[in-house]
Amino acid sequence: MTAVGKAPGTEARAGRFPGPSLIPALTAIQREHGWLPREELLKLAREARRPLYEIQGIISFYPHFRTEPRPRVELAVCGDLSCWLRGSEERIAELRARYGDDVDVEVREVSCLGRCDRAPAVAVDEQPAGIDDTDALVASAKERMLEHAGADTAGGPWPNDPYAPGVPRYQMLRRALAGDLASDDVVGALEDAGLRGMGGAGFPTGRKWSLVAAQPADRPRYVICNADESEPGTFKDRQILATQPHLVLEGMLLGMLVTGAEEGWVFIRHEYGPEEQVIRAELAELESQGLMGEDVLGSGRRLRIEVFTSPGGYILGEESALIECMEGHRGEPRNKPPFPGVQGLWGQPTLMNSVETFAHVPVIVDRGAEWWRAQGANGGAGLKFFAVSGHVERPGVYCVPMGTTVGELIEQAGGVIGGPEALRAVQPGGASSNFLGPDVLSVPLDFKPLAEAGSMLGSGALVVVAEGTDLLAAATNVLRFFRNESCGKCVPCRLGSQKAHAILTSLLAEGGGAADVDDRIVQLEETMRLTSICGLGQVALGPVLSVIGLDRGATAARPHPRPAS
Amino acid sequence: VAISTPAPPEIRTVTLSIDGQELTVPEGTTIWTAARDAGIEIPVLCHDERYDPVGVCRVCAVDVGGRVLAAACVRPCEDGMEVKTATPDVERQRETLTRLLVADQPAPEEDAKETTTGDNELFELARRYGVEREDGDAGALPCGSGRGSDFSNPVIAIDHDACILCDRCVRACDDVQGNDVIGRTGKGYTTRIAFDLDDPMGESSCVTCGECVAACPTGAITNKPLHEVPIRPREELKQVDTVCPYCGVGCALTYHVDEERGAIAFAEGRDQPGNKGRLCVKGRYGWDYARSPQRLVTPLIRRDDAYPKGPLSADVRGEGRGRKKPGGLVDYDEVLPHFREATWEEALDLVGERLRTIHGEHGAGAIAGFGSAKCSNEEAYLFQKLIRAGFGTNNVDHCTRLCHASSVAALFEGVGSGAVSTTYGDIINADVAILAGTNTTANHPVASSFFKQARRRGTKLIVVDPRRERIADHADIYCQIKPGTDVAFYNGVMHEVIARGLTDREFIAARVNNYGDVAKVVKEYPPERAAQICGVGADVIREVARLWGEAGAGVIYWGMGISQHTTGTDNSRCLIAMCAITGNVGKPGAGLHPLRGQNNVQGASDAGLVPMFYPNYQPVEDVANRERFETAWGRELDPARGLTVTEIIGAALHGSVRGMYMMGENPFLSDPNINKVRKALSALDFLVVQDIFLTETAEFADVVLPATSYLEKDGTYTNTDRRVQLGRKVLDPPGQARPDWEIISDVANRIGLPMDYTSPSEIFDEMVSLGTDYAGLSYDNLGSTGKLYPNPDPEHSDGTVVLFDDHFGTDDGRAHLVAAEWMPARELPNDEFPFVLNTGRLLEHWHTGSMTRRSFALDAISPRALVFVHPEDAAELGVGEGDMLRVTSRRGSIEIETRISHRETRGSCFIPFHFREAAANVLTIDAIDPVGKIPEFKFCAVRLERAGSPVAAGVDA
Repeated sequence: MTAVGKAPGTEARAGRFPGPSLIPALTAIQREHGWLPREELLKLAREARRPLYEIQGIISFYPHFRTEPRPRVELAVCGDLSCWLRGSEERIAELRARYGDDVDVEVREVSCLGRCDRAPAVAVDEQPAGIDDTDALVASAKERMLEHAGADTAGGPWPNDPYAPGVPRYQMLRRALAGDLASDDVVGALEDAGLRGMGGAGFPTGRKWSLVAAQPADRPRYVICNADESEPGTFKDRQILATQPHLVLEGMLLGMLVTGAEEGWVFIRHEYGPEEQVIRAELAELESQGLMGEDVLGSGRRLRIEVFTSPGGYILGEESALIECMEGHRGEPRNKPPFPGVQGLWGQPTLMNSVETFAHVPVIVDRGAEWWRAQGANGGAGLKFFAVSGHVERPGVYCVPMGTTVGELIEQAGGVIGGPEALRAVQPGGASSNFLGPDVLSVPLDFKPLAEAGSMLGSGALVVVAEGTDLLAAATNVLRFFRNESCGKCVPCRLGSQKAHAILTSLLAEGGGAADVDDRIVQLEETMRLTSICGLGQVALGPVLSVIGLDRGATAARPHPRPAS
Repeated sequence: VAISTPAPPEIRTVTLSIDGQELTVPEGTTIWTAARDAGIEIPVLCHDERYDPVGVCRVCAVDVGGRVLAAACVRPCEDGMEVKTATPDVERQRETLTRLLVADQPAPEEDAKETTTGDNELFELARRYGVEREDGDAGALPCGSGRGSDFSNPVIAIDHDACILCDRCVRACDDVQGNDVIGRTGKGYTTRIAFDLDDPMGESSCVTCGECVAACPTGAITNKPLHEVPIRPREELKQVDTVCPYCGVGCALTYHVDEERGAIAFAEGRDQPGNKGRLCVKGRYGWDYARSPQRLVTPLIRRDDAYPKGPLSADVRGEGRGRKKPGGLVDYDEVLPHFREATWEEALDLVGERLRTIHGEHGAGAIAGFGSAKCSNEEAYLFQKLIRAGFGTNNVDHCTRLCHASSVAALFEGVGSGAVSTTYGDIINADVAILAGTNTTANHPVASSFFKQARRRGTKLIVVDPRRERIADHADIYCQIKPGTDVAFYNGVMHEVIARGLTDREFIAARVNNYGDVAKVVKEYPPERAAQICGVGADVIREVARLWGEAGAGVIYWGMGISQHTTGTDNSRCLIAMCAITGNVGKPGAGLHPLRGQNNVQGASDAGLVPMFYPNYQPVEDVANRERFETAWGRELDPARGLTVTEIIGAALHGSVRGMYMMGENPFLSDPNINKVRKALSALDFLVVQDIFLTETAEFADVVLPATSYLEKDGTYTNTDRRVQLGRKVLDPPGQARPDWEIISDVANRIGLPMDYTSPSEIFDEMVSLGTDYAGLSYDNLGSTGKLYPNPDPEHSDGTVVLFDDHFGTDDGRAHLVAAEWMPARELPNDEFPFVLNTGRLLEHWHTGSMTRRSFALDAISPRALVFVHPEDAAELGVGEGDMLRVTSRRGSIEIETRISHRETRGSCFIPFHFREAAANVLTIDAIDPVGKIPEFKFCAVRLERAGSPVAAGVDA
């Protein structure tokens, strides 16, 4: 008989349900009814011959799914770090007071919307906005007059775009399809350029591509663009998607050519509706140029990219959780190894890179590794996008030389609100990175220097914290995010994040500060860091530890784990 | 019997060190397994070797020199890896993880596991790490809020607070039992286990197999005590290793017996090659019938004023409309006063005298006996010996006639043996398995778990059944044939197999007779024609043929959907031909397996409890056989085959059979057209019923003898796989109840057939000595897990899995195929009776319900008679769930509650036959298969009409 092959280490529940994902069918039911009536779920299970609990597992895991009718207006508000620094607590309380009795409006606190440059951020019926615009949007939404605005395309042109306005795009792709650009040359350029994953883990991109390409030839491969950045303070990919969809897609298509994949997906968070439209439009453009299809430009290669809209949850940024989601399961990270490059989507080798990583590929292939390396500063190589938020004058996305110092980037963003002296701390790499003090202005924003300083480059999100902010409260806010977004699969993260948050909230409520944090937190941090399955649990308590002082075993002393996304 | 297996693929190894020990293990071995094999214990909570690892509790974290620790249960060993399993750093994390888990647990003195079996694995770990749930403790963590409990299942309690989300229950439910009910709901800290759409367990699709209870390491999922017999630590109870008394799967189990209370506290599955520790709801929870206060404890003699004989219950007399207690079993208050208590002496004397008198006055043919497939091999052997040697007649039969008689007839004719050619577990070696006419999840639940598991491991599953039963949800191809069209379907498949050249020509040439006849007949069944008859698309028939024909190994398991037809023998002949023409017999993963119903239907037939065979299938009409048995038993024997069950009922009605001995059978409910049965039983001059309860049949008895239940005696039982297992005495019998074998002996002595057996093992030895199949087996070598027969070396071998590896059991060693033409069922629907009635069993109930309806769990889960109707038919009839329907056939009419079911075919309905208050067999037709003499339980024409008003829940007695 034919046994279903599984790589060693594949856990029992990974890829558990045979057959297609039920998520599209559930989405269709929700689109028709606005929610998921029980009778429809029973019918789906019966007709698809799938267990009811599988459906329950999915719909209870993803915030996108509703098991009761939706209100007339959904008002989502964010209280995560960047918004919290901008007074979200009070503003949300105001909104609750204003709409609390309004039966038409459901005020729901959600995790980071990725609009930290407009903090505090809200979304009215999925239309993102700054909190000041709430009332107008709610009023139009009530009248069913809400107009969905396009993506914010501010910033740019960025220096990583090899194509000047008006110049035909996708030239690297055309060269590769025509046989003028060998896969080895692409991988070689990436390796020589020293490009590393920009989603946070920093895995060398060239090596990842060649690893997937080297998998046995009889196995299909897949390419996924991880456009699910969801960490508080992180929104740089959003701006790349909005302004450089052609680079993201060209990078992906090159990745598909190099690894031998025929199918690719852009996995995009559902809060990025406007940006998703940009990507879809660009995919149509590719189609119209004959750059996607069964036999692209007569090359004999089949290339097809589709958009997969995330049903929600920060954890899906973790690559194996993302794959679980795409396969139609609860987005719970897998034990690794095996890694997705060997055993990814549907058990096949899968190349997954983030938006920014793919977006850098065309320019590196076009201008060469040397050019790329020369773009860096202070020993860094290439360019780097940063999302800057918090207490700065001009929050936004900046593309700067890798190695730009913390101080320089803050300057570009208009400086600290209240002046340079007001700087209290920064989180250089998103919510999962450790807080650093004001003494780090001269530290280059690059993998190694930040690690040496006790933090990390992470997801490319610089959160600036000014004087007057309770750092323990800020770090507890970050912990709250991780607790909310924990998938619940493994014990240390599921329980540790909750217990630690309970301990810290009561400490803060009693007026305690960083000095009062006891050893339970220190121990929980160690256990979560060492035993959690994925980066989320491993880093969740890091920021808290980072604010309690070096003398108590804090940041700089510890090896920094990889973040979730 | 040597079966050549392909050489295993070359195994690569890796070398690593664990705690300084250098180890070389096969690639893919996990660190935990490698360590365990090297004698290094790594603590675990979520991991259990019964299931594939998930690595979620992280307690098995070990240092592999990485940035973080690795979960040993799921992490494969790598070359050069240096593993440290118990450094202070590692132990500190384990302690913290334990602390985290304990923080949300109930206190040990309130924990449902710690206070019962006392083996809560988390608390054990907590003691090891010195972690206690004390709020004053400096290291104490905040206690979580209550996540609730669920007591909606009658026998299983859920405490979500005690749940550590280890996923063991999820894996047990899915991967082991294939029931697919339990999963995780919610996210993060609020995650819980949930049933279906987060429904109460008792209202979900859970089948209460209890595998989750067996899996759970904490107090989250536990057994509730039954009848207030407390569940205590195993060491305080007595363990009796025995076998489940219900179905032919014959699961090995252990009863944990409270000796002070003389009662079973709980049951657990036992590791035996067949069931591998699994049980179903009947096995795990259905044993309390033995302690029912309704057990017969004294011999009873019918009072003089209870003559002339007839049914004693008003409802059986047809006066049931005004019954104060609708539903339920025989009403003792109503029936018992018609009997008086007697001593064993008086009762046995009366039995001996009356039977002897009838025998003397009317001849041997006036006596008949029904034995039971629920009794042991020894009792079956003894009973047929009593009838044959004591009364000189072969009029002895049992309920095999009602289940697989036609299968056995076809198998004898075709392959020379009525037993299965391979085991249910052998499906794991099959490329393709066909499940034909078997509601296996209900009737052979544990076997079905192996079918589902095999499918998940790559075996293609083809389910052919008019009812879309739960197993169909697991099928690669489900063929919803119209009732009674099996021959057309399989002929169509064989047509296509032959047309595509997918037969095994070598096998046919070497081992098959009459292939030409089959080829000629199936030529007339091109898929299009077969499709027209059976309702399954021609393309589906082609796909089945392709899969079956191309399979390296294919096996067919079938049930009553094949056998209980007037064409039952033809149906089975088709399956035999399916296997024979493709060479799918006599190798691993291939063969023929009629799933036997009763726990000992195989053994009872093996023991000769059938009218045409002596023990070990030696035909009674063969002179040499007869002479051999005459010598062995010292009596002249009847040279002609006897009457079958259905024929005996007919003979009783017409007065040729006048005296009957009924051991553990209840034909009043189990036989077709029970109005006819009632008249037949009333017509008997003398009826002795030997049973554990007052059955419907006992209402017609002159003498009722109280027997021991399965749980109160020793004996052997042979399961569907041909596994002979020892059933051991668990409890003392109530009152004056006595083992059947002793009662038979006493009756035998009273009719002049001396029997002086001192133990069941002595009877077993005598039986074994008179045949060849059981040769070599004895009580001493059956061991705790039994032995498959044939078994050339029972001291060392589990026995033969695959039969017929080089020849069949026929005279010439070749398969004898018989071609079959499709014939419609005997009674087709018409305008007056437009529906097809199908009958069968429910998961929770056993045959006439005399055991299961007295089990708390089974009765609580399934208390009422139901008719299952397709939603569209229900809509046309104007009935909803719970409404009463009147179901009428040409033979009778019943009123019964409606259950709307998507699993029925339109135009068909299904009624389980367990319920006397709405007895399906009032309706069924007593037409029989001409060869196997089996009644057509699966097909008769009925009319459905709305009746009465909705019934409130819980109206059962």
